[in-house]
Amino acid sequence: MAAHEAAEAPAEGVTVPLEVRIGFAHACLQWVADRSGADLLHVKGAALDPTLVPGRGFSDADVLARPEHVRMLLDELRRHGWELINSFAYGSSFEHSATLRHDDFGLLDLHRIFPGTGPTPERAFDTLWAHRTTTVLGGVECAVPPRDAQAALLLLHAARGGSDPKAANDVEWVWTSADDARRAAILDWVDRLDAGVGFSVITGTLDDHRDDPAYDLWRVASRGGTRMEEWQARVRAAQGLRSKLAVASRSVLVNVEHLTIVRGRPVSRREIVAEFFGRPARGLSEQVLRLTRRSRR
Amino acid sequence: MNAAFRPGPEAGVTPSGDGSCVYVAHLPGGPLLVLDGAAAVIWVEATTAPATGWVARVAELVGQPEDAIAADVTAFVADLSARRLLVPQPADEPGPRADTTA
Repeated sequence: MAAHEAAEAPAEGVTVPLEVRIGFAHACLQWVADRSGADLLHVKGAALDPTLVPGRGFSDADVLARPEHVRMLLDELRRHGWELINSFAYGSSFEHSATLRHDDFGLLDLHRIFPGTGPTPERAFDTLWAHRTTTVLGGVECAVPPRDAQAALLLLHAARGGSDPKAANDVEWVWTSADDARRAAILDWVDRLDAGVGFSVITGTLDDHRDDPAYDLWRVASRGGTRMEEWQARVRAAQGLRSKLAVASRSVLVNVEHLTIVRGRPVSRREIVAEFFGRPARGLSEQVLRLTRRSRR
Repeated sequence: MNAAFRPGPEAGVTPSGDGSCVYVAHLPGGPLLVLDGAAAVIWVEATTAPATGWVARVAELVGQPEDAIAADVTAFVADLSARRLLVPQPADEPGPRADTTA
């Protein structure tokens, strides 16, 4: 019979489309969550309501886990062939997700926070979880936020996208072309999720929030900035002195995980040392370039 | 009315868009199986109600006498069952995941 194990002995011409693999990544996560007692919501990508942005592509699986279940999920996933390739602290300026890779199912972003939602990660998750619905991914019933909440989350994601054409297309489909009733439903979820600062990027009113600790994070994410500005924004957004110091110290450490991916092999001590001195230098040169550009205007 | 089999608790299933093959993942760790041709036909008919006459439906779809393919079909289904990807479904058991081919 014609059964090919795609991962072990791929026959000539047998390929598994990326969207199928990603669907199975979602199914795998739900399988693990169901059996370990973890709560998680599948967001964006394959889990997105297809009527929000027709034909929208995706390249990985995104899931948002109940914050207190994240550690347990990470441990379980590593037992089932998932390899951690980028941890939360180094994932993005919002420190919101860890990236894992599986030989068969591809890439997964495990979110402990959906950037822009609050007032705390726990309460934001509770709010979404209380209104969850389901969709079938990879043959498994998976928990997803309701459609209007999905729209609000997609727009918050687009708010961090800067000039990315995909983000612009999302905004066009989900917000710009929406009627008043649809916008009101989305804004209701923005309120429920305490997401006003991030969402102000979409409505062009970010500068009304200059006094908010997260303002600089959203300004840099939506309009661009140097590495130094990004780290300054992260320090400003961190709550409490201990968190601020932790963020500040990370800003000068080398992300060995990222460096390993970039180089495609384990990195040597010498390369880590070189990167340690190179990063601040790069940050400084970016800053100088930016100041030079400003002075020319 | 139930199908003869349903996907096992460790199976993730996705039919291809054109219906020519069925992708089956062993959850949670893999591997992935690609069932194409007769293998896809067997999976679809085995998991589609009614159970009665499902092998005959396969025979008709592949253009072979039932007697000629029955042994191969049985062996193939036994292999998938051994991998816990298919489980037999008693006729009177409710089957929430009986049809995963849509």
